[in-house]
Amino acid sequence: MTGPKLVSILRQGSWLIASIHTALDDTQMLMFQHDLIDQIGRYRSRGVVIDVAALDVLDSFGARTLRTIAEMARLRGAETVIVGIQPDVAFAMVSLGMDTGTVPTALDLEEGLEYLGRPGGARSARHGRAAG
Amino acid sequence: MRDEPRPHDDVAALIPMLRRVIGARVDDAATADDLVQETLVRVLAAAARVEPGMLEPYAIVTARNVVASLWREQDRHRRNRHRVVDLDLPDSPDQDLLASEERTAVAEALARLTDRERATLLAHEVSGQDTRSLAAEQGSTAGAVAAQLNRTRARLRVEYLLVRENVEPPTERCRPVLLALSGGDRRRQREVDAGRHLLECDVCAQLSQPLMERAQPRDDEVRIPISTDADIVAARQAARELAARLGFARTELTIIATAVSEVTRNIVRFAGTGEVVVELVDRPRRGVQVTARDTGPGIPDVEKALADGYSTYNGLGLGLPGARRLMDEFAVVSEMGRGTTVTMTKWCGER
Amino acid sequence: MTEHTDEMQPAGSAELTSTAEDQLLPQLVAHLREHRTKLRQEWAGRIQDSGLLHAMTPQEMAAETTSVYDNYVEVLETGSVEALQRYARDLSERIIPRGVETHEVVGIVLLLRDVLARSLFEKYQRDFGLLNRVLDAYEPAANRIANTVAVSFVDERERVIRQQQDSIRELSTPVLPVRERLLILPMIGVLDSERARQLTEQLLTGIRTHRAKVVVIDITGVPAVDEAVANHLVRTVDASRLMGASVIITGLSPDIAQTLVTIGVDLSKMDTIGDLQGGLEEAERLLGYSVTRGDGTGTM
Ligand SMILES: [Zn+2]
Repeated sequence: MTGPKLVSILRQGSWLIASIHTALDDTQMLMFQHDLIDQIGRYRSRGVVIDVAALDVLDSFGARTLRTIAEMARLRGAETVIVGIQPDVAFAMVSLGMDTGTVPTALDLEEGLEYLGRPGGARSARHGRAAG
Repeated sequence: MRDEPRPHDDVAALIPMLRRVIGARVDDAATADDLVQETLVRVLAAAARVEPGMLEPYAIVTARNVVASLWREQDRHRRNRHRVVDLDLPDSPDQDLLASEERTAVAEALARLTDRERATLLAHEVSGQDTRSLAAEQGSTAGAVAAQLNRTRARLRVEYLLVRENVEPPTERCRPVLLALSGGDRRRQREVDAGRHLLECDVCAQLSQPLMERAQPRDDEVRIPISTDADIVAARQAARELAARLGFARTELTIIATAVSEVTRNIVRFAGTGEVVVELVDRPRRGVQVTARDTGPGIPDVEKALADGYSTYNGLGLGLPGARRLMDEFAVVSEMGRGTTVTMTKWCGER
Repeated sequence: MTEHTDEMQPAGSAELTSTAEDQLLPQLVAHLREHRTKLRQEWAGRIQDSGLLHAMTPQEMAAETTSVYDNYVEVLETGSVEALQRYARDLSERIIPRGVETHEVVGIVLLLRDVLARSLFEKYQRDFGLLNRVLDAYEPAANRIANTVAVSFVDERERVIRQQQDSIRELSTPVLPVRERLLILPMIGVLDSERARQLTEQLLTGIRTHRAKVVVIDITGVPAVDEAVANHLVRTVDASRLMGASVIITGLSPDIAQTLVTIGVDLSKMDTIGDLQGGLEEAERLLGYSVTRGDGTGTM
């Protein structure tokens, strides 16, 4: 189990709000992935917000893990939005050569929730998801 | 990437010459290979402290020393030899004896300093008196006292080694050369033509090894041993902290940390263990230099590893090419079955 | 000075040659004080003849030369350059905006050194030995003064230049919050790597502080960019998207478009609009669109 201080996963209706509270190493990142996917399945979540504002770095492994989470969530019927990528982290990510993929990103938690709650978004998605 | 010569290119260029030097002394090809590798690791570790023109002589001397140490320690298990990355002295069963010999050698070396040198050094190192109050006592400045302390430490190391090895320097030039090496003063090394002297003088050649390797710990350098995931985070955070001292913008600090994260992960994934050295450099400009070295299987085709995965996440992933894009200078030296060294630099301020 | 020494005959009174070394400078200072008005005028005349400081009025010239003269003599008297340093910085601050150049400042100080040396020469010329000793005492001090003034001036000048550059940079890369959630970044002038880097920091932190959803980068005012800067621009756009902001680029010249294509940028993936007005309309549409239709913000 991931320690409560490293990350937190809160349930809010049919959504999960996952916050990373500190820099994570690869093993902790994989545990986070495991826990989050587990809870998406258990609660039949429709949407997930992952807040990465506390990450000091999003290197190729971190970014790939987030994409894996989004893809696995999608297979379980949940839409994922990544929020809180810091300005310097964002610039380092693109400098590293990570092409912008297909996982939606938003400024912060508020924006992320608004994104999920948009008409046609994760709240009302009974039969499918918005293309993402 | 720039076309300026990089120290590690120079080191790689030494390989054929080292093969000749070592091959002439060691019959067994596998052992010779091991020794070439060990020599390279040692030369790389000292490269930053060696005047570029002196790299070749220093490498030859190192190779001879490495061969000599093989002869001295034939019974040591060969497998461990090329893994000597941290260059610590080997454990010994009779450590007590060693410790008392050390103490005698240190006392003897201290006795060879001038009264004033000794008093200042002891006041600083033993009594913990700071340079400012020492300066006040001596009617000098803190900077001058610090410089004097550095010179004294360098001399103490030289005298200590001479006592320990029980040798008298055979020529007048020996002490100046040894002092220049001990202080890591490259300008002085050039002035006394230390490279040539090491090739000509066996005594200094032998002493040069411990002098280069046991140079005082620098506060502009951090070494992080790497073996687990958590070390990746430690390495990138250490790099960020050290680089922050140069006044890099926040975005650049994160870029450096990200590059360190990538190359360090390569060590954990593909080599198992290694080390990351982060140091501040001021030539040709101020910047931060990161050296990630391992004793893993090596990269079969470095060019390919740098080109592949340019836009994919397969294979080695973005590791090397990604880090290369993040930094200003980037070089990889890899030998199959021996290990890989990545050296990368970010310059501070305008190009 | 050398052409005079040829005519010199070592001679002099016992009274003067016996002057103690530590009495030389005070004697010298007394002499310079005594002849202050004449020497200062002579100096000002030499400055005018040399065409230096033509940016100054005669009144200003009189005031400044008097101050410099007094400071100069004070340094000779006390051996301390601190007051002179302060004055030189102060003076530099006043005259740099008037376009006074380094060579002019160094020139006038050297002229003063020369005027005073000539006066000393006249006074002591009958005693060659004493003259030499006086000049030996005077010259190091005078050189130190010239050095102090020059360094203060150059320092001040560099500070002013840096300050100007910083403010130009800030002016030329302002992040303007036009309306809620909308930022405009009008870029003007030649972009070097350093400016591009600052621009990126400003824009990305601006997105955070203004919680921007749409950013319009207007590069109408940028004549051309090299590949490194073009690359930087693209990274800035991508990083903005990662932060959840949409980016519209306006005023893309054919030259810059060509550079972008050369470095492998797929222009169809960039939201480019001809001019700023069009860009703003598109931005408003996106903002409205995102409210009513819930458009995704960015992707990774
Ligand atoms: Zn010697």
